[in-house]
Amino acid sequence: MSGSNATTPSLKERLGFTGGAAALRVRFFGVIGFLVALIVIFTTMSDRFLTGDNWRSILFSAAILMVIAASQAIVVLTGNLDLSVGSIMGLVAYVVYDIGGMNEAFGPFAIPFGLLIGLVLGAINGYLVAYLEIPSIVATLGTLSVYRGFVSFYANAQQVTVEELPRYMRDLAQATWLGLPAYVWVAIAVVLLVALVLRRTPWGRQVYAYGSNPKAAYFFGLNSRRIILQAYAVSGMVAAFGGLLLGAQIGNINSLLANGWEMQALAAVVIGGVSIWGGSGSVIGAAIGAIVLATINNGLVLLHVQEFYRLLIQGTAIIVAVGVDAIVQRKVLSATTRRRIMEVEQ
Amino acid sequence: MKSLTRTFRWELLLVGLIVLAFVWGSFLSPYFLNLNNLVFSAQTFVIFALMAFGLFPIVVQGEIDISLASTLAVGSVLFATFSVNGIPLIVALPVVIAICAGLGAINGYLVAYLGLPSLAVTLGTLGAYRGLAYILAGDAGVTGITQEYKQIAEIWLGGIPLLLIMIPVAALLFGVLMGWTRFGRASYAIGNSADASRMAGMNVNLNRVGAYALAGAMSGLAGLVWVAQYQSARGDNADGTILFVVTAVVLGGVSIKGGSGRALGVFLALLLLATLQTGMRLANVPGTSQTLVIGLLLILSVGVPSLVSQLRQRFGAKKPATPAFLPSEGETAGSEGASAPTEKV
Repeated sequence: MSGSNATTPSLKERLGFTGGAAALRVRFFGVIGFLVALIVIFTTMSDRFLTGDNWRSILFSAAILMVIAASQAIVVLTGNLDLSVGSIMGLVAYVVYDIGGMNEAFGPFAIPFGLLIGLVLGAINGYLVAYLEIPSIVATLGTLSVYRGFVSFYANAQQVTVEELPRYMRDLAQATWLGLPAYVWVAIAVVLLVALVLRRTPWGRQVYAYGSNPKAAYFFGLNSRRIILQAYAVSGMVAAFGGLLLGAQIGNINSLLANGWEMQALAAVVIGGVSIWGGSGSVIGAAIGAIVLATINNGLVLLHVQEFYRLLIQGTAIIVAVGVDAIVQRKVLSATTRRRIMEVEQ
Repeated sequence: MKSLTRTFRWELLLVGLIVLAFVWGSFLSPYFLNLNNLVFSAQTFVIFALMAFGLFPIVVQGEIDISLASTLAVGSVLFATFSVNGIPLIVALPVVIAICAGLGAINGYLVAYLGLPSLAVTLGTLGAYRGLAYILAGDAGVTGITQEYKQIAEIWLGGIPLLLIMIPVAALLFGVLMGWTRFGRASYAIGNSADASRMAGMNVNLNRVGAYALAGAMSGLAGLVWVAQYQSARGDNADGTILFVVTAVVLGGVSIKGGSGRALGVFLALLLLATLQTGMRLANVPGTSQTLVIGLLLILSVGVPSLVSQLRQRFGAKKPATPAFLPSEGETAGSEGASAPTEKV
């Protein structure tokens, strides 16, 4: 029995790998192709687009969204979604910096404490989805309100001012390392770390396995509920880190910090080629999705296009991305089904 | 009788909560039970109610539409523009409603015929329609609405504003639509199993497009109410209200997975939310803190029944525990391919 167990997954993985990898490649290069097309269009239309300064500003404005997109991608890979990321970011940033402002000695613990809060908030989401079996839209719609309501309640119409932030976070927000804003390096590091964990660790492979086929994962003996719970918890932790970054960048934090970021994050993830059905797509793709959004914003500003068109174009980009995703999904499906039939015939 | 209370268990629960909320509200402030107060605060919920009833058939069909508030913005901007340009309401009404229904139908087409996930599609149109509304309204928005449009908010019938009457009327119409018409029954069937409905010969795609178009039309109507009540229209009208609308529908006992729920429940949920919000407003709870209560209500309303049924399954009837978290329809069918080899071995 153990022998067959050892060979079966490798066979399955081989089959899954070829089909999935092909789809991934199409999707992944689709995003990059889209980005390149945008760059070409904007470069021909504005001579200020392809300058170093402009690229630094694009990457800087994309940095935090890259982190949040990575956080959202973890959950989307399990076939769920998290509408409460914006509220988690706001709650963590406000509470952590507020406590830090009142207590000097707290300063060094700001990041670990923030990550811990994010972990707990994410785990609450995960518990609702995995154990209470509440559909993820409903559950995270609820926690979106609850977490945001909590910050508002806690803040009591006050603000955390720039002076209250820990010195090192302020410095990080303004620092430049090797010619790029420090935030960009931090974002890249976070994205690569999340990508590595998802791609190379057993836990990460379980997330993909559950997302691509919950039934098969269940029969294979994976603890599905725990995977979802953990995915949400890790996602919450990454979102919390993004919230801390955003708070330090903005400086004066009120209870509405990061309101509406869940839509941006979802847009980045979808444009980045992570399947909304779960199970396929990459965190790096999601991060590139964030860069695509930032590039669109930047280019439209340079072209003096009114702010209004940005929404229209972003919305259209999401629909096109989902459409491409659906086509790829169907291609892969028909390919794998055909292979299965052939196997039976042999 | 017993079966009746069982069927309407959810509605009875909501009625109980509404009574509690009323008692709480009247303890909170002597002004709460004032009829004027109740009528005026209820009027602010007409817009949400129209969108909620529009969303209701979509959710019954197992889909979602988060772009409705953006459709409302397009509708309100169009109504305001028509009004400022002196076009009579009787002409504007069918035109704008038709345009908004068209926007809804685009969602429906993308979801039904192209088979795209509704959340992602309407996330896209949420931005796209909002952008459209901004472009139509321009920077400053549209003001100077004519009396003809404004007076809708001023008509009173038998001591109750006309707009307020729209809520029970909409509830009744949607109750009939979903309970007694071909479209309604098809919606429940599609929500339970789209594949089975298709095999039974239903035109699933057409019903889907119909539901989305209807929701778009309802949002357009809500746009007219907006213009009449606020006497101006801007691109950012009703931005962010969709969460409240979805909360009302889900709290009304409409399963987000599709296939169940009644218009009466949605109506009662709206009543409960309105009562709670009015009470909290009188108690000077700031708007953003109110969301704490509403969010908790949403989670509890879905979570507690689920918890109870799980506990009952574990300790009560000795049925074999089925892994209920497994998605039942459609979703898994897509990736069946990879699992087949493992099962065969």
